[in-house]
Amino acid sequence: MSIKIALAGNPNCGKTTLFNALTGSNQFVGNWPGVTVEKKEGKLKGHSDVTIMDLPGIYSLSPYTLEEVVARNYLVGERPDAILNIVDGTNIERNLYLSTQLMELGIPVIMAVNMMDILEKNGDKIHLDKLSEKLGCPVVAISALKGTGIKEAADKAVDLAKKAATVTIAHSFADSVEAVISAVEAKIGSDVADEQKRFFAIKLIEKDDKIKDMMKSVPDVSAEVQKLEDEFDDDTESIITNERYQYISSIIHDCCTKSKKSEGGSVSDKIDKVVTNRWAALPIFAAVMFLVYYISVTTVGSWATDWANDGVFGDGWHLFGIGTSAYNDAADEYAPYDAEIKGFLEAAEEKAPDVTKEFTEVYDDEDAQEADVDAAIKAFTSNSAIKSLTTEVNIAGEDEDEELVNVNVATFETALEQEEPDPADYGVWVPGIPVLIGNGLDAIGCADWLSGLILDGIVAGVGAVLGFVPQMLVLFIFLAFLESCGYMARVAFIMDRIFRKFGLSGKSFIPMLIGSGCGVPGVMASRTIENDRDRKMTIMTTTFIPCGAKLPIIALIAGAFFDNAGWVAWSAYFVGIAAIICSGIILKKTKMFAGEPAPFVMELPAYHMPTVENVLRSMWERGWSFIKKAGTIILLSTIVLWFLMNFGWADGSFGMLEAEQLDSSILAAIGSVIAPIFAPLGWGNWKMAVAAITGLIAKENVVATFGILFGFAEVAEDGAEIWGQLGASIVPIAAYGFLVFNLLCAPCFAAMGAIKREMNNTKWFWFAIGYQTVLAYIVAFCIYQIGSVFTGNIHVVGLIIALLFVAGFIYLLVRPYKESDTLKVDMKKKAFAK
Amino acid sequence: MGTVIVGIIVLAIAGGAAYSLHRDKKNGKSQCGGDCSRCGGHCH
Repeated sequence: MSIKIALAGNPNCGKTTLFNALTGSNQFVGNWPGVTVEKKEGKLKGHSDVTIMDLPGIYSLSPYTLEEVVARNYLVGERPDAILNIVDGTNIERNLYLSTQLMELGIPVIMAVNMMDILEKNGDKIHLDKLSEKLGCPVVAISALKGTGIKEAADKAVDLAKKAATVTIAHSFADSVEAVISAVEAKIGSDVADEQKRFFAIKLIEKDDKIKDMMKSVPDVSAEVQKLEDEFDDDTESIITNERYQYISSIIHDCCTKSKKSEGGSVSDKIDKVVTNRWAALPIFAAVMFLVYYISVTTVGSWATDWANDGVFGDGWHLFGIGTSAYNDAADEYAPYDAEIKGFLEAAEEKAPDVTKEFTEVYDDEDAQEADVDAAIKAFTSNSAIKSLTTEVNIAGEDEDEELVNVNVATFETALEQEEPDPADYGVWVPGIPVLIGNGLDAIGCADWLSGLILDGIVAGVGAVLGFVPQMLVLFIFLAFLESCGYMARVAFIMDRIFRKFGLSGKSFIPMLIGSGCGVPGVMASRTIENDRDRKMTIMTTTFIPCGAKLPIIALIAGAFFDNAGWVAWSAYFVGIAAIICSGIILKKTKMFAGEPAPFVMELPAYHMPTVENVLRSMWERGWSFIKKAGTIILLSTIVLWFLMNFGWADGSFGMLEAEQLDSSILAAIGSVIAPIFAPLGWGNWKMAVAAITGLIAKENVVATFGILFGFAEVAEDGAEIWGQLGASIVPIAAYGFLVFNLLCAPCFAAMGAIKREMNNTKWFWFAIGYQTVLAYIVAFCIYQIGSVFTGNIHVVGLIIALLFVAGFIYLLVRPYKESDTLKVDMKKKAFAK
Repeated sequence: MGTVIVGIIVLAIAGGAAYSLHRDKKNGKSQCGGDCSRCGGHCH
């Protein structure tokens, strides 16, 4: 005969750890029918006839959350053979609230007190035998994490289930309450099993509407309810809750002994006194995030990304860095000669283009024989036009200041005699991916256009994105650490104080915290917000927080325009928070969103040092999804972009274009139509416009598009020059505006899909997207127009409009909002509706 | 011949990427790699 055992307990009590330990890999994970709550069941190890059901973590059997409804429906409807109730030994008073309710279900219960190891470490003690006597059920000690006691707990649960013993409820409430419960029990019909009548009676007394759905005939208990409420001068739900806690307090005193150490407050309490302090909390949070982004983007992450961009996706790198320094010294010595050669050839191309072309075809051919190269040099330098040529070339000096040098044929020949240092001579040289792929394609005789697609399209685009993986991994490690140690939960609590001032609660910040990983689960997490207006506002503003996909854009702009300054990444994060706060203030003053903030109660888990394994696993899970996205969406996007960039109308016909005909491409045509819209923002060229639009597919696409449009593969020899080319395309203030625009505007298609689903209304969806995009546009516009004043590039009309926007913004922030005290009802509509 | 071989490889990679996206969407997976229907929003 098969046995069903349910695992029930508060969230974070170790239920899932115990479930995993009891079932191993014999698990099935799915969904409870019709809801998004996870359903986990598995076979107990060594007992193929015993099914363990891991119920969602709940605080009570009241029907306030989906998890509570699901768990209650299972326990009452399915009636498992036994309940294994896991309680957190370090927080037993709160955990026992659920336990008292579980014991009223008429199902045999065994209690497993978890985290006994932490309890012992704190010097506290729980007298299990006394607790068992007071509760009327077996109590065992376990440590689910360490695996101690779990076999005994499971065996006892199976034993209880097999015996199918009658359940005797040990706890009782005040006499008058018990009298009312008995009276209601007597009224309940035979459709409810005898052992469940007490549970149903208490729920009816608590005025629990959903319990009535589980009864065929519902007795009228209004008289009994009124009697209790008159006697206690309180509502019946509160009366029952108080009774439970009085009972719990009465047994805690006998069964638990706290050490003097824990009476002074736990370590978590002491840390929270500082971290959640009214005045210090926000500056501490700001400092923590600055440190996180500074290390991730500017220092450690930047070093790793430079290696990825310049080495792995560039020319190559020296293994373990051995030889890099010596090679760099040699390259610096050779650099003036290289500048002289390039400068002279540039001048020669203008004076004698055909002769120069003939020479460079041989000189640049890596497979040319030495004798052929010597002959080409001799022919070139003896040409009359070239012989008389003298040009001035800028050479960077030792102190990086430039000097003008005259270069003639003799100087040119001397420069040609110098041997360009080969990095492979200075250590173990690992060629970069573009070099390896390029050599492979040449060896196989691949057509130029296909090589172009692969190197200039796919490798350039995907490589540009993957180059930021090291930075992302460093950031993910920090975020995983902050999440796992318990600090991020405090951030939601800290933000509640601020959010409440403009009508939201800290509950709205939790989706935003989640959205810092990916906007899709962030938007979906807004489901936990009961208030419809607050939920809509949260959905609209969640994606203002930079998600993982926007980090490469931040890093790119910081690197290309601001020399990897630490403040850029940090300011991007706080621009998002400022946008959320300001949106909240402005929107809460509109009729659509006005209303009081919802109460916010959340559990602050104790601080603990995360395990290295957990942190690394979290880092890898998020990093892997980033890499997978690069290999799918970004890869397909780069192929499409390459075709759009390399085909167009030139010389009166449609076909494949040369590199210098980029402005005639389909992509340029599309970009040119859109670009004027962004001209007031300072980045009205088609390349920037196209990059912003491709960001709608996936935000990383912005970086991939830049990689393709600014010739990543071609300038890979110089490594950082791609960002140099980008840096020359627009001014820094416009670049910062571009960054802010991409941070605040409509998110990627996947996140838009999540917004559409959660809004469940097309009009609200378009309102949300429109709001985000318009806000992004106005903010970027103001940044550019007002910022240009400080760079000496004033646009008078734009500046006036920007100042008007700022004035309007300030007005919307500070204007008083008065709740309407006039009820406007369309009586005709109401009448016809009836 | 080299062009044909490389072309087939590129087509296969692109096709595989498209199929992977289609399969994930069909299985209810999000871009974050997780399963939206079971997502508690805890993607950290």
